[in-house]
Amino acid sequence: MKSIVAVSRDVAFTSMLERLFGEKHKVIIFSSLNLALDYIYNSIPDILLVDFVQANPSAATVVSDLKSDSIFGQVSVIGVFGQDQEMPHNTVLPIDDYLRCPPDERELEARIELCIGRSDRVVETNPLTRLPGNITILKQIQHRLETSVIFAMAWIDIDYFKPFNDKYGFARGDEVLKMLGRLVLNTVRQKQPQGSFVGHIGGDDFVFIVNHEIMEEVAQDIIDNFRSIIPTFYDSEDRARGCIESVDREGTHRTFPIMGLSIGMTHNSQRQFKHYGEMAETASEMKKFAKMCGGGCFKTDKRVV
Amino acid sequence: MDIQALRLQIERIDTLPTVPSVLKKLLKVIENPKVSLNEIGSFITSDPVLTSRVLKLVNSPVYGFPGRISSVSQALILLGMNVVRGLLLGVSVFEVMQKSMIGLWEHSIGTAITARIIAQQKGIPEPEEVSVAALLHDIGKVVLSLKFPDEYAGVIADAEKKGTFIFEAEKNHFSVNHAEAGGWIAQKWNFPRSLVEVIEYHHKPSLSKTMVVQSSIVHLADILVRAKGFGYAGDNFVPALNPAALQILNISEAELSGIVLEMDSALSHADDFLMQDD
Ligand SMILES: [Fe+2]
Ligand SMILES: [Fe+2]
Repeated sequence: MKSIVAVSRDVAFTSMLERLFGEKHKVIIFSSLNLALDYIYNSIPDILLVDFVQANPSAATVVSDLKSDSIFGQVSVIGVFGQDQEMPHNTVLPIDDYLRCPPDERELEARIELCIGRSDRVVETNPLTRLPGNITILKQIQHRLETSVIFAMAWIDIDYFKPFNDKYGFARGDEVLKMLGRLVLNTVRQKQPQGSFVGHIGGDDFVFIVNHEIMEEVAQDIIDNFRSIIPTFYDSEDRARGCIESVDREGTHRTFPIMGLSIGMTHNSQRQFKHYGEMAETASEMKKFAKMCGGGCFKTDKRVV
Repeated sequence: MDIQALRLQIERIDTLPTVPSVLKKLLKVIENPKVSLNEIGSFITSDPVLTSRVLKLVNSPVYGFPGRISSVSQALILLGMNVVRGLLLGVSVFEVMQKSMIGLWEHSIGTAITARIIAQQKGIPEPEEVSVAALLHDIGKVVLSLKFPDEYAGVIADAEKKGTFIFEAEKNHFSVNHAEAGGWIAQKWNFPRSLVEVIEYHHKPSLSKTMVVQSSIVHLADILVRAKGFGYAGDNFVPALNPAALQILNISEAELSGIVLEMDSALSHADDFLMQDD
């Protein structure tokens, strides 16, 4: 189920949309773009249809602003134009597809489905790991919460990543992040090929979603795999010594162990989460809890609410 | 041909073919939908070409951590099952099969098994890395015979006629031997420095800069496997053990006979890997 926002005063057109897609997707109609914006910002629809036949002159600017924003740029915008209406150049009005009004039913259906397919493939990704980023993570979790799927969310964080970065530099730190991205993705997919998800929040924070029955198994696998691979990212002397010398937050020299992973997990099989933020915060809390055991372990939220 | 031109030619090699018996088994392995990463892994580590293919991919700049991964099991975790399957689907075999190739494959597997035994005996921290290096140590022979099949056949005939070792005849003909050629390709494919060095120095381990112990282990394993008559490395007699290698490893007679004993049983299990048809 996708959400489609349509902005149009053409009743024939909007009722056609509701008839064709109302059952399969969520269709929300607005009479003007400005009225729609609040909804768009809060819910990030999958598709935005904008009727430019009788639209007010600022509509093009609003669409263009929307598309230039890193968060909303991923919304697919379909422009609707009259048969003889001139279409503004893509630099003025950056849209993903267009339709001529009144549209042929089959064509309208095909265009929308193609747009949905495209946006499903093109997700915003972290440039380093090419894993989906925050918006997709939010959507993945929100969608599961809304459709009452029982699942576990895990938050991964690297122990002693900062001293490693300080000692070896960002380039080597980035290598570790790229490696971790692959490692988590493959370990999760191997345990659960369908319905799982891996995202990169940013820095050394990663998220994965799996069925709650296997979450601890997956977390342990990820921790073990990381432990076996990470030594090759150190220089051989440090690897042999089992630690590095670096400077801590207070500026004093001390030794830091080889990096490990801390994983915090929560799930909705025994408690309810209303929204993404609540669940993410719990997972992050559990991760901090996991950190206290000295690294290389996971902690699971056992509260019943 | 001057050395630079030769090196360029060798570096242009993208993939190496394997031997037909391996391909037959390979198809069975990847067509099995229930095959586990572990099973695929142990299959890959019994073939120098499949191993080099996996290491080349995982160390390529595309993944973003070139020169880091020297273990097949780690490579499989990072590449994932789908990528590995796809990678293995593209494996080809030598068009014209030289009879010595099967022998070289057995020699490589035997050396890998023996090197692991020595590494464990000596308490080396990463025995798997040493055994991968041993599996790949003669990859230069594959490279040279793929790129220059007729000339390489000539080199083998020449060595036989004059009673010299292959690596000497190679040097006479190409002005480099297979150890150097193998080092070039390993470097070109972004293999970790540790692997490159062992491949390059397996005939003169004491010259290795940072991998002197590992190179000595592979050197010793190479000689022991030949002495056992397991596989065929191209020479009809066994080259002398580099005395420095024994010193570096500090191996006593008793330890050595223990290693040889362990080899016997380990190699008898590996024996039928290439020969057996199913
Ligand atoms: Fe050799
Ligand atoms: Fe050899």
